[in-house]
Amino acid sequence: MHFDCLQVIHLHINTDVLFLISSKQDHLHNTLVLQTQFVETMKGEGALEIGEPSRALIGGAPYVNKDISIFDFILRVVAIIGTLASAIAMGTSHETLPFFTQFIHFKAKYSDLPSFTFFVVANSIVCAYLVFTLPLSILHVIRSRARNTRLFLVLFDTVMLVLLASGASAATSIVYLAHTGDATANWFSICRQFHSFCERVSGSLVGSFGAIVAFIIIIFLSASALSRRW
Amino acid sequence: MATTAAPESSSSTAINVGDKAGAGDKGKAPLVPLPAAAPKATLFGPAKAMGTWRRRVSSVFDFILRVIAIGAILAAIITMVTTDETLPFFTQLFQFHASYDQMPAFMFFVIGNAIAGGYLVLSLCYSMFTIIRPRLVGARLLLLIFDTLMMALTTAAASSAAAIVYLAHNGNASANWVGICQQFQNFCQRTSGAVVASFVAVVIFMFLIVMSALSLRRRR
Repeated sequence: MHFDCLQVIHLHINTDVLFLISSKQDHLHNTLVLQTQFVETMKGEGALEIGEPSRALIGGAPYVNKDISIFDFILRVVAIIGTLASAIAMGTSHETLPFFTQFIHFKAKYSDLPSFTFFVVANSIVCAYLVFTLPLSILHVIRSRARNTRLFLVLFDTVMLVLLASGASAATSIVYLAHTGDATANWFSICRQFHSFCERVSGSLVGSFGAIVAFIIIIFLSASALSRRW
Repeated sequence: MATTAAPESSSSTAINVGDKAGAGDKGKAPLVPLPAAAPKATLFGPAKAMGTWRRRVSSVFDFILRVIAIGAILAAIITMVTTDETLPFFTQLFQFHASYDQMPAFMFFVIGNAIAGGYLVLSLCYSMFTIIRPRLVGARLLLLIFDTLMMALTTAAASSAAAIVYLAHNGNASANWVGICQQFQNFCQRTSGAVVASFVAVVIFMFLIVMSALSLRRRR
């Protein structure tokens, strides 16, 4: 090792500890004073706060957060598409049967069933929320160190996940009931009459469930980006 | 270069260089061994840095919330499973017996809550682990991802049962579905209570996730 006046040397140890060694030449006493400082770090993520030579030692680690943020952004776009498609497909479901009597309805619309209304409303809210948080997501790509905004996003993502899962499951339950009916409560399955309405409504659930999976991955990515040094 | 000695704090050593080294010597100095003062510090070592007590407190809170969530889910499962009502009259055409296993949504409710409850019991160990070693990131991240999955599952179970319970209360005119709560009053009350308990567990899961994310933050 070559020592110079007030030179700081980094020493990266592979597992979990890190030293900062600084040296000073004491000309008066003709001694070399070595000072070691224990700076601990996370296992495998040898992050250093100063100095360029450190980057060569840790490979591509400084850019992991950027990759995570980009993936997060892509997933948000996917979730926007899913929820929008679900809301539109359910909202435009409408079927009128060609015959009628005095007592029985022969029209089916999403607003006839409160669960479907809740589904459309929940998907719309989540879609609007995602559109509004897209700029925040782009900010995370640019500035990977943003900590408080990530936390804010994790909180609201959790709330939106619950809302979305709730709406999707309620609609799924009613769709299942419409397909099979219920013997105990004497609920007749309406899918036999309203065939295309049933198909449309069943298909609109797919986008919502895809958005739910995307949200779960988004929350995990945000949390793991929070736990990294950058 | 790697070394196994790991002192826990700063220390300095004075080394006598002498006159020779100053005479235009650009060569290398002999490698100075680092002062081996303290035992090896690993990830499982003593946590003395600042901010650890905050993580410990949030881990303790996390543990308490998990216990409460187990209670809520147990209440939901037990209330739903013990629903069984038979009306005292009968005809040839209509059934007058209602219980949870006749409706697939309620079966899913029981199964979903049972899985979430089982996960919570198992995660109590992990939570205790994070109390003892607050600096572990891997355990917290694992807890967070599984908490998210279980929260989604519990929400799905609770919401699908809630949709059926709403239908049982109000019926639906468009589909000619009559609300059965007028007849099966006890059944309706029990299922409604079970759904409420499950939603309480969902809210607790939300708090758990946000707290895990809070305590995962790295200090700058």
